[in-house]
Amino acid sequence: MSSRRLMWIQTVKVALSNLLAYRVNFFLLVIGPALVFFFVKYSLWSSIYEQQGNRELAGMNRETMLGYQAMVLIVSLLAQGHNSTRLAEDIRLGRITAYLMYPFSLFEFHASSFIALQAVQLLTSAVVFMLALSLGLFAKVNLAFIGQGLILCCFVSILWFLIQYCIGLMAFWLEQTWVMRVLFQIVAQFLSGSILPLEFFPDGLRNILMYSPFPYLTWVPARAMLTGEESLLYGTGILMFWIVCAALLARLIWKKGLTMYTGAGM
Amino acid sequence: MFLTLKKYALIYREFFATCLAEATSYRLHFVLLIVMDLLFYATTLTTVDFIYQHVSAVGSWDRHQFLFFLAFLLTVDQLHMTFVSESFWVLSASIRNGDLDFLLIKPVNLYFLIFLRHIRPASMLLCSVTFFLLWHYGVLAGLSTIQFMLLPLLLFLALLLLVSIEIFISASMFWLVEGTGVNFLRMQLQQVSRWPDFVFYGLPRRFFTFVIPVLLIGNAPVQFLFSPFDYHSLLFMIVLIGFFWFMIELTWNKALMQYESASS
Repeated sequence: MSSRRLMWIQTVKVALSNLLAYRVNFFLLVIGPALVFFFVKYSLWSSIYEQQGNRELAGMNRETMLGYQAMVLIVSLLAQGHNSTRLAEDIRLGRITAYLMYPFSLFEFHASSFIALQAVQLLTSAVVFMLALSLGLFAKVNLAFIGQGLILCCFVSILWFLIQYCIGLMAFWLEQTWVMRVLFQIVAQFLSGSILPLEFFPDGLRNILMYSPFPYLTWVPARAMLTGEESLLYGTGILMFWIVCAALLARLIWKKGLTMYTGAGM
Repeated sequence: MFLTLKKYALIYREFFATCLAEATSYRLHFVLLIVMDLLFYATTLTTVDFIYQHVSAVGSWDRHQFLFFLAFLLTVDQLHMTFVSESFWVLSASIRNGDLDFLLIKPVNLYFLIFLRHIRPASMLLCSVTFFLLWHYGVLAGLSTIQFMLLPLLLFLALLLLVSIEIFISASMFWLVEGTGVNFLRMQLQQVSRWPDFVFYGLPRRFFTFVIPVLLIGNAPVQFLFSPFDYHSLLFMIVLIGFFWFMIELTWNKALMQYESASS
């Protein structure tokens, strides 16, 4: 095994043990919010559809809406768990100086943490999926569709990681980056169809949104898993485009940021 | 009594002055906080507006009543973010790194020092926006002058219940090594409180009304405004505030015994 690969494996292992060291905290930070978000939407839509006599709203009946919301939960667990709190703190406290000398870069270190988180989240979302299945939240399950959605989720998680990485790097300029993270979260949750499926949006707005990366963060993978209507090739193509953009942006921010870095806090 | 009040008012004035100086030192952060809050209002209100494009009522509420309810909660949220919220985040860090020592030795009420120390001036600016939304949707929902006059008291009660529940929950930070998760739990409870109680059924509704009564924060005052004869929830809310302060005294005394003063 090459020493580089060994470095990656060891760093992922350390990241994994760090993640699971404070299990209650991990649950409250990463899994809890997604579950509560789902619980609120499940209650809201159940109540609305019951009042409407289960008639279709924006082309969705009660079953498809609840199935969609369950898939949104799976997508958010699988692809949107990562955040850049640690990175911002490392920059602010001058801890990244060490990484500038290590043979393992800061990006590689954070990518290892991301891989560790994904491993845990894969397991969590599998459990949640089985639970949702046993509760009858999915009218029908097609394994090919699920596989298609999982591939899209892989790309979404990489894009999400890169966006979070860019936000974390903003700590070169900002005292606190949590506002940027929450700002992105608010916009992404609304425009990606996490709260309301895009079918509920006015046509004009929905058409404009399709030119942005937002629908591909939640709406497209959730629909791919449920209906298989979304083209896998087209979806991955669009996500690849945004991944390349985010990677280039991260590289640019890193280069510019390093010129600002003073190593304060050492 | 008067001297005590004066002493606390003077301390609070110093708190505000230092927070204002700190906030204005980081101007971009200050602006981003305002943008974040504005986007939060916009997405919250637009979500409900989009739903009402497909239905005429949710529960017994029409569009204006629902939007008034949201404006009420956004105002509570804004007041909470301005005067209290930041302190909870600082508390979890203070317990972890031992900074709480410096508060424990001061001759000032501990809750006052911990929970009213950090003020967000950027959020204070936006209170005017939420007050405008409250007035706007209040007019559209057909509120009378007397109902408008009751609003400050009801807002105060709602904020007091929210803060009481959160202070009670935050005692658990002393048992957990890492308290950030408890702050995320608080945020999730706030998310549940932002919806009308008729959206929830069965056990969850009972749990969030009687055990962790976050559903009362907005529902009890707004339902009282819409139908003044339905005052039972509001009375229950007042009783619960008293109950939570009793529980806070009990749990915080035990929690402080757990404090290990990490730095010393």
